[in-house]
Amino acid sequence: MTTSRTARRVPRARRLVQAAIGILTTVLVATACAGGGAQSAGSGTPQDGGDLTFLIDSLGDTWIPNNSAISSFQGHIWGHVTDKLVYVDENGKTSPWIATSWDQNADATEFTLHLRSGVTFSDGTPLDAAAVVANLDMWSKGDASRGIQPIGLFPKTYKAAEVVDPATVKVTFTSPTLGFIPTLGYHGSILISPKSLALPADQQADLKNDIGSGPYVVESWKDSDSVVLKKRPDYDWAPPVLSHQGPARIDTITYKQVSEQQVRTSSVQSGQADVAYNPSPKELESFKTQGFGVAAPRYLGFVNGFAINTKVAPFDDVKVRQALQHGIDRQEILNTVYTPDWLAATSFIQSNVPGATDHSADFAFDAAKAESLLDEAGWAKGPDGTRAKNGTPLALTLYPNPYLATSKAVDELVAQQLRKIGFKVDLQAFDVVTYGQRIKVGSPTVPAYEITRSFIDAGTVGGVLTDANKGENWFGVGQSDQKLTQLATDVAGASDPNARNTQLDELQGYVLDQGYFVPLTQIVQRLYLQSPRVHDVTYNGLAYANYYTAWIGDQR
Amino acid sequence: MSRGYLPFALRRAGQAVLVILLAYVATFVVISVLPGDPVTATLRNPQNGFTEEQIARIVSYYGLDRPVLVQLWEALSRFVTGDLGVSLRSNRPVADMIGEVVPSTLVLAGASLGLALLLAFGIAFGVRYLPRPFGPALRSVPSLFLSVPGFLVGLLLIQIFSFGLGLFRAIDADSPWATFFAALTLGVWVSAQVAEVLIANLDREAEQDYAGVARARGLGQARLLLRHLLKPSALPVVTVLAVMIGEVLGGAVITEAVFGRTGLGSLVESSVASQDLPVLQAVVSLAAVVFVLVNLLADLVYPLLDPRVTVVRPEARVAVA
Repeated sequence: MTTSRTARRVPRARRLVQAAIGILTTVLVATACAGGGAQSAGSGTPQDGGDLTFLIDSLGDTWIPNNSAISSFQGHIWGHVTDKLVYVDENGKTSPWIATSWDQNADATEFTLHLRSGVTFSDGTPLDAAAVVANLDMWSKGDASRGIQPIGLFPKTYKAAEVVDPATVKVTFTSPTLGFIPTLGYHGSILISPKSLALPADQQADLKNDIGSGPYVVESWKDSDSVVLKKRPDYDWAPPVLSHQGPARIDTITYKQVSEQQVRTSSVQSGQADVAYNPSPKELESFKTQGFGVAAPRYLGFVNGFAINTKVAPFDDVKVRQALQHGIDRQEILNTVYTPDWLAATSFIQSNVPGATDHSADFAFDAAKAESLLDEAGWAKGPDGTRAKNGTPLALTLYPNPYLATSKAVDELVAQQLRKIGFKVDLQAFDVVTYGQRIKVGSPTVPAYEITRSFIDAGTVGGVLTDANKGENWFGVGQSDQKLTQLATDVAGASDPNARNTQLDELQGYVLDQGYFVPLTQIVQRLYLQSPRVHDVTYNGLAYANYYTAWIGDQR
Repeated sequence: MSRGYLPFALRRAGQAVLVILLAYVATFVVISVLPGDPVTATLRNPQNGFTEEQIARIVSYYGLDRPVLVQLWEALSRFVTGDLGVSLRSNRPVADMIGEVVPSTLVLAGASLGLALLLAFGIAFGVRYLPRPFGPALRSVPSLFLSVPGFLVGLLLIQIFSFGLGLFRAIDADSPWATFFAALTLGVWVSAQVAEVLIANLDREAEQDYAGVARARGLGQARLLLRHLLKPSALPVVTVLAVMIGEVLGGAVITEAVFGRTGLGSLVESSVASQDLPVLQAVVSLAAVVFVLVNLLADLVYPLLDPRVTVVRPEARVAVA
């Protein structure tokens, strides 16, 4: 999930006052810290013990594991309470965790997982093959009779899982599913004790009943208020790739819900808490100069950008689509809306996705080129600067994606830039509910659908672009573009990772060359402001902060 | 006073039940006309990648695909048997969720009403006692209190006393100091309305003949105020306080958000944001119960404080005052 669906609209007056208070706070705290000198960065010797307080905007909705695991908020807690079968690091690299190794057949329809032995859930139940099968079935199907959702992004090609022996599981699929192993490192795929999975929904909704095998256990929790985690002393099955092994170093982690952004950041600045989630991007630079840690890890997925519907005139013309690509100044978006922690897009997938290649030249900002493309396509500039062809103005309506907080600001800027090259651009913003009902990718009324979506495996890319195999048909071309269909199907159904990388590179080049996708910027979904006394935090492929490896130093 | 008291009490109790049921139905209607529901709002997030079949199955589990009237009838028939249902947002029993947050809000509401009364009486006495220019200047304080938004007062108090002076940890919402400042934030606003009524009444009573007589008998300002003016002036305060209960519950939404307290206010906030109908219906009904009870109490206390007030039906009323 990109930003929460509870994102509220704040009245202008209130924003102004908050801004004023923000400035006041920064000044006050900066003055208070002035004598402290510079800290942070330097690592030193890791120490055991200490308590960490993490201030978060929301603690999400339900705690039923399947329904909540991919929440942008609750994912933080699950990451400490549960383990996964495989680990995916911030570069998208998959490595062993509870599954120590795995094999697959030649066409990637059958996988065998070899499990680590001696792993237990904190209720004493062994994390063995039977437990893994119970979890796989639950992720794939959920249980509608109990109101338990499946994990939406779990491969829909899943057929069955069976216990071979207590340390071996065999999983079969109806068609090649290279994405299966990386999906096991996705935030939805958390391993929960079979005893918890068997509970009715209202009992799973009590976090205390949701038992994992992770380095922390739930000490106490209060709905929409706080979750206190305590370290599990006998934990000894961390991902081998991490620098730290054995039990966690920090004794307790308290996630406290504080909905006011200013209160979160000021609490960290004044030393009352250790980490503030989602500080204002505009304040990051000033936090850094004050000696605080700032982390803006990227997730794996699509970049923020527009999927262009080729069914809607005039976007059936490749030159008009290319003009859109070249008419947008991405550096200006970064400078105006974001900070140096954000990166311009280099393809239509984030650059840290394995297999992503740099195609930025295909859509580089070049207003003159955009204008000449439009001229060639027959769109002549009128006296008011708007282009028209046969009396029809060159119009485009943008619908900011409500799941991305900065979307409206970005789209306003894009509208300004496109007006300069002769587009007549309208902006229509909807709330989450209305947006979900009216604005759909590929719909005839939506010429440009704004994409923000994470994935864990590039196979996803091939599955959504066309309508082959119930795909989402992002560009409205169906399967009429044979080259696109071929490349997308190859990527989606690939059984060899190396061959797939070549196909993926070709697919990226083709989609961008055809102007099917207009990339904007890479997405940073999670921001952290951190006290200088916290060291060695790890961020995974989903940009979640993991405090298992972290430790707390003395210095303030 | 006792004559007609039983029919009076029964009539009021009947009205109370009606008000509560109407509140329950009204909440349902208001939420139902909004587009969408919390379950599909989450499921439809393209991030989550659900198919239409998967969405339909979950929506039907919650019964959200049935006609609105059927949903209302089922909810209502559960409600009259005391079953508040299960939250659509958290999947937990609504009764448990409300039980968890009520104590915190009671503490906040109680403390803020107490502080509000202290402030209001302080201001009203100040207006009458303090020499120029302080006394008259105090008259403008209630309007000042009313016009400053609660979240601003709250953020400033946190800014100064927590981040500035380090008196308390802003995120330990239930610590005594944090509770005090949260109550003050809410209380300042309540006190303004009480103070205005009190000042106006003291002014009026001070003009009455009996006050003039008392002054002519050589009674000092202080004794005049305490022995003669206070009781009649304080009576309307009881009414104001009863009405304020609703506003305190409303103000708690903002105060609790600013101070990070978990209470009825924050429960309402998250339930509104997620269109969590069962929780909203329960909270609105609870608020209606509290509101009705407090007003009933005020009505019952009134005749005790002021013998001029009777409970006789209007058509049967004989001139008593």
